[in-house]
Amino acid sequence: MAVNIVKDSYKSKVVEITVGTEANAIKIGGDSTLPFLHFEGEMPNKQVLCLEVFDMVPEGWPENLTAAYEGVMSDPVAWAKKCVEYGADMVALRLMSAHPDNSDTSPEDAAKTAKAVADAISVPMIVVGCGVEEKDAKVLEAVAEALAGKTCILGNATNENFKSITGACMVYGHSVVSQSPLDINLAKQMNILMTEMGLPNERIVMDPLSGAVGYGIEYAYSIMERARLGALMGDKMLGNPVIAYVGQETWKAKESKASVEEFPEWGEQAKRSILWEVVTACTLAQAGAAIFVLRHPESLKQLRVHFAKMMESNAY
Amino acid sequence: MQKFNISFLPDKKKVFITEEVNLLQAAAEAGILVKGSCGGDGTCGRCKVIIKEGNYTTKQTGKLTKEQLAGGYVLACQTTAESDLVVEVPEASRLSEHQVLLEEETVGEAVSQTSVDPLFKKIKVELPEPSLTDSMDDIERLKMAVRKETGIENLRVSLNTVSNIPGILRKEKWKVTVSLADVLGYTEIAAVESGWDYQKYYGLAIDIGTTTIVVNLVDLESGQTIAQKGSYNQQAVYGDDIISRIVHATEEKNGMEDLRNAVLKSLNELISQLASENHIDINVINYAVCAGNTTMVHLFLGIDPKYIRLEPYTPAINIPEPIRAEEVGLQICKTAWVYCIPGIASYVGGDITSGAQVIGIDKTEKVTLFIDVGTNGEMVLGNQDWLMACACSAGPAFEGGGIKCGMRAMRGAIERLDVISDTLDVEYSTVGGAKPVGVCGSGLIDCIAGMHKAGIIDRTGQFSSNLTNQRIRNGDDGPEYVIVSKENSGNGQDIALSEVDIKNLIRSKGAVFAGIRTMLRKMDLPIEIIEEIIIAGGFGRHISIKDAISIGLLPDAEFEKYKYIGNSSVKGAKMVLLSKTARDEAVQLATKMTYLELSIGNDFMDEYVSALFIPHTDMTLFPSLSE
Repeated sequence: MAVNIVKDSYKSKVVEITVGTEANAIKIGGDSTLPFLHFEGEMPNKQVLCLEVFDMVPEGWPENLTAAYEGVMSDPVAWAKKCVEYGADMVALRLMSAHPDNSDTSPEDAAKTAKAVADAISVPMIVVGCGVEEKDAKVLEAVAEALAGKTCILGNATNENFKSITGACMVYGHSVVSQSPLDINLAKQMNILMTEMGLPNERIVMDPLSGAVGYGIEYAYSIMERARLGALMGDKMLGNPVIAYVGQETWKAKESKASVEEFPEWGEQAKRSILWEVVTACTLAQAGAAIFVLRHPESLKQLRVHFAKMMESNAY
Repeated sequence: MQKFNISFLPDKKKVFITEEVNLLQAAAEAGILVKGSCGGDGTCGRCKVIIKEGNYTTKQTGKLTKEQLAGGYVLACQTTAESDLVVEVPEASRLSEHQVLLEEETVGEAVSQTSVDPLFKKIKVELPEPSLTDSMDDIERLKMAVRKETGIENLRVSLNTVSNIPGILRKEKWKVTVSLADVLGYTEIAAVESGWDYQKYYGLAIDIGTTTIVVNLVDLESGQTIAQKGSYNQQAVYGDDIISRIVHATEEKNGMEDLRNAVLKSLNELISQLASENHIDINVINYAVCAGNTTMVHLFLGIDPKYIRLEPYTPAINIPEPIRAEEVGLQICKTAWVYCIPGIASYVGGDITSGAQVIGIDKTEKVTLFIDVGTNGEMVLGNQDWLMACACSAGPAFEGGGIKCGMRAMRGAIERLDVISDTLDVEYSTVGGAKPVGVCGSGLIDCIAGMHKAGIIDRTGQFSSNLTNQRIRNGDDGPEYVIVSKENSGNGQDIALSEVDIKNLIRSKGAVFAGIRTMLRKMDLPIEIIEEIIIAGGFGRHISIKDAISIGLLPDAEFEKYKYIGNSSVKGAKMVLLSKTARDEAVQLATKMTYLELSIGNDFMDEYVSALFIPHTDMTLFPSLSE
């Protein structure tokens, strides 16, 4: 008996965002189907795999992670180049030194670093603040100006500081990461507020804040899924590509850091930590995430293979 | 234990109290009602009094300014006497007269007076004289005559009535007036009088609100309301909301008695005023029907309310039986019955059943939303086929609670308000046309709507950072908007609305709208399905539908769908008092309603967060607002 392939038809799609300049520009989003259902709609752009660069030597990274960046970790420019060498589609610069508890780098100095990195690499950039909302507002304003014309993604704009970040990105032509704590309604509210300021919808990337596998990923999974379904059903305020800070979350997990001596039943740390990052990213890709900010080049390599396979057409 | 004399100024009232009793309780004993929103926890700072003479200990002074401390101010609930005291209670700390919603225009059919069949009535009967061939006993003879006259089968009679019956029956040659009281399931022959000349008889329809109490004196023969009165529920001294009162009742020594006495005192005062003003004896008040929320009914009847507020939120009783007035403590005819209209669950009580019945929600084809926009935020949705009820706990913000410049709709409250978009100036009107001293619920709604329209706040209630105007400034709670400056206010203080206040109000309005949406979601119905929206409650009467829609408090429906009903609770009580059929229907209605527990599942929380936006995260729900 013949089986009819059930195909859903959606009336809308995820917004397509362009970052970077000219030859190096990449497009993100634009999906008109649920993730990897090529038989129902289009997934015109591939997943964006980024590697993270700190503007100061990060603390508490396990050895198998620092080993990948040996010799470049105190120089963000060199580190960023290394990331490109490892095949990153984008470099995510995290301006951690601006944190008042770290060296409290001034917005001007942070912007200089960002500019130096951007000038040294050919791939587009994501620039993320230190996480202190008031400070990030100032830092990202300066960064937006310094990177004028480079068409980057800046973040993270939260309920507290989105006005100044959005304003600066509007003026200097960047996209913004709008971050909200694991709630579809709050995510939507941020988007409404930002577009009402005049920022075009195709300049917003959503970060619903995910946890790693075993640390609350199921919440993020269902939120992302709802956002994607919303987007496909025509909700313009949910139709933005989703970014997932995978590395940041997975490398916090004990499973990524603890040695085999501490937990013999967990097996080897080097293998386990990569898997934690890869599995988290794969899971979130199934939920609809488009940009993955990773830390380990090995994870990137494995995910590249996985996603290439997933992007092969499964149309009947 | 030491005892001290406390005299209160300027009332010149004195009480004699032990050293354990705080001044808030002492004032209550002296009959002075001091504001105690937090129930005596020392957190609301509203019970400020001034010690004029004497020694005292005070536990907490955090809510007082330096000037106040220097001026001898203390928080009454935190202060106990160490000697005789002279205490002044300033006007600002008193519960003042409140606009009590008495009778309002009715929605739809008025309570029908044509078929008055009250729960208490007197009938004239003539008994066949006994003879040698008819030697039936007196009581059976009486019952037979009553049965013949009324068709009532199940009659009972108390020993008290039987004891003098032979003389009474024979005095006027077997002509007697029989008092019949309906007691769920049977009819009591409450009294028998000789002859057919009888005194008029009355009943009471009572609404026991958390904040206000309303009593209607009803002539049970004609079905007419003779007079009505309303006042504060004196329980307010022990907390503004039902939760703090339950806490007081269950955790304080004698707490239960405090609350029971407070509500009884409020009621008995109103009853005695009604009786004396209308020249009737309280003994001819023969039946009382009360409508109140579940907590109020528990506290009124002296039933332990503890588990109402504890998971899984079970009241002791939803459908109370009639109880003798004497047992309840209501000062009317001792043998009179007091009946409380049945409730549905912990937070949807008899007041809602009562209102739902008045509007006949169970008899209409139209999908109707009945909503009490108050602290508890009860609502009922449905029609003749299905009924659902929930309580969204909107909080007291719209009644002025938790808002710095908020107040109830009393004299001097700003009730209407317009923000002029270009100058950010304000036009307003106050209750009684007095100088403004605060803003009541309707004014608060207008204010948020106006501030959003003028661009002072964004959709989340956050102040815009790029507006400079003399009316916008930084206050103790962050940015605030000055509605009336102290030069123009009635209390020498600025009236301002801060970001914290606005977020509070947004949470309240979000809860109401989320409650509506959650009920619809359970039935899988769109918001447009609602054909009629009936707003009850004292505060509800004053709100502007247009502004309420523009902030997302109420659904974006055509204005014609909206109706006010006012105090539907007391109307329902009157309906039940005057009709056995209505009483039976009220019981059925209460049992028919499905109570929706909003704390289970994600639906309510999801709807709530999406409603924390002006007007809503999903703008398609408010089509009339998109230009």
